[in-house]
Amino acid sequence: MTNLKILLNKLLGSPTKKALTIGLFSFLGLMDASYLAAKHYTGTIPPCAIVKGCEAVTTSQYAVVGGISVALLGAIYYLAVLIISIAIIDTKSVRLKKFLAGFSIIGLLASIWFISLQLFVIKALCLYCLVSAFSSTAIFLTAFFLGKDIHRPLHDGI
Amino acid sequence: MKNKIILWAIIAVVVIGSIFGIVKLASKSQTPDLNNLAITVSAINDNENVKGDKEALATLIEYSDFQCPACGSYYPILKKVSEELGAKVKFAYRHFPLPQHKNAKLAATVAEAAGKQGKFWEMHDLIFQNQSDWSEEKNVAVLFAKYAQDIGLDLARFQTDIASDEIKTKIENDYKSGVKAGVNSTPSFFLNGKKMDNPRNYDEFKNSIEQALGQSN
Repeated sequence: MTNLKILLNKLLGSPTKKALTIGLFSFLGLMDASYLAAKHYTGTIPPCAIVKGCEAVTTSQYAVVGGISVALLGAIYYLAVLIISIAIIDTKSVRLKKFLAGFSIIGLLASIWFISLQLFVIKALCLYCLVSAFSSTAIFLTAFFLGKDIHRPLHDGI
Repeated sequence: MKNKIILWAIIAVVVIGSIFGIVKLASKSQTPDLNNLAITVSAINDNENVKGDKEALATLIEYSDFQCPACGSYYPILKKVSEELGAKVKFAYRHFPLPQHKNAKLAATVAEAAGKQGKFWEMHDLIFQNQSDWSEEKNVAVLFAKYAQDIGLDLARFQTDIASDEIKTKIENDYKSGVKAGVNSTPSFFLNGKKMDNPRNYDEFKNSIEQALGQSN
């Protein structure tokens, strides 16, 4: 496990590279979530299809929380992560790195929740949601190691 | 400092530009299905549930599932279409209960049973207005019996009709005619026999109907 951690940390590279990776994944997540949010608010009312897929997921009662599309909430989350990651590249702030490591747990938990809903409740998978789950997991993992860099710099002991 | 501002400005422009582009892409209506031109739908017969002027030149047919949330969202739009444009267009409702909606078939049966007593549209309205109440309900028959009572149906006859093969066959025939016309999602609309790209609102329905009328003149 420790070896895997060290390997992953090495692969992810310097703190700046990690922040850049987070920035790229949050950009991917932002585009993905914006597309779904725009579909939700401006597109035609998504029909119910015989073959279950994205429609079943995006028209389900779980696609909206308190009247707000979860895709829009996702887009806001990714935008926040994107801004923080660029700020980290810019300022190298330790506090921001620590904050992002904690903040990215929100995305990971939300993704676990939505994938579980799709698998066990709605029983249909939506590709856009899978892309989002992939980027939030990647963000979480990278941010976790970025947060660790504060205590144990990359060159230290590796 | 100046470099930093330029960096942030470039990132902001890229991000805002990309969001703008993706929103534009998402809000574009779906590209029309090339097969649409070839798809036709069977004509309305005397046995069907039709609203509006029977002599109207435009015919709008909806394939719908009472439990489909999208059909529920379209319900008020279509009510307005038949109320405001009833003289120009006759509107027919056909059943297309999807397999994943477990109460949809019974809802269709209940509406048809009400139709036997001349109250299809009253039941149709009640079912859509209360969609969220009965969609996931296990003992849905009780709720539907209450709706039947609310609109003043003869309950004994209503219960007999629900069990009748005639209604079952009618719903099956609607479904089959939909499959034949290429329906694979609900709601699907056919205007003068041709499949429409689902309009987004009342105005888009109105424009399409008026355009169809213009062509038929």
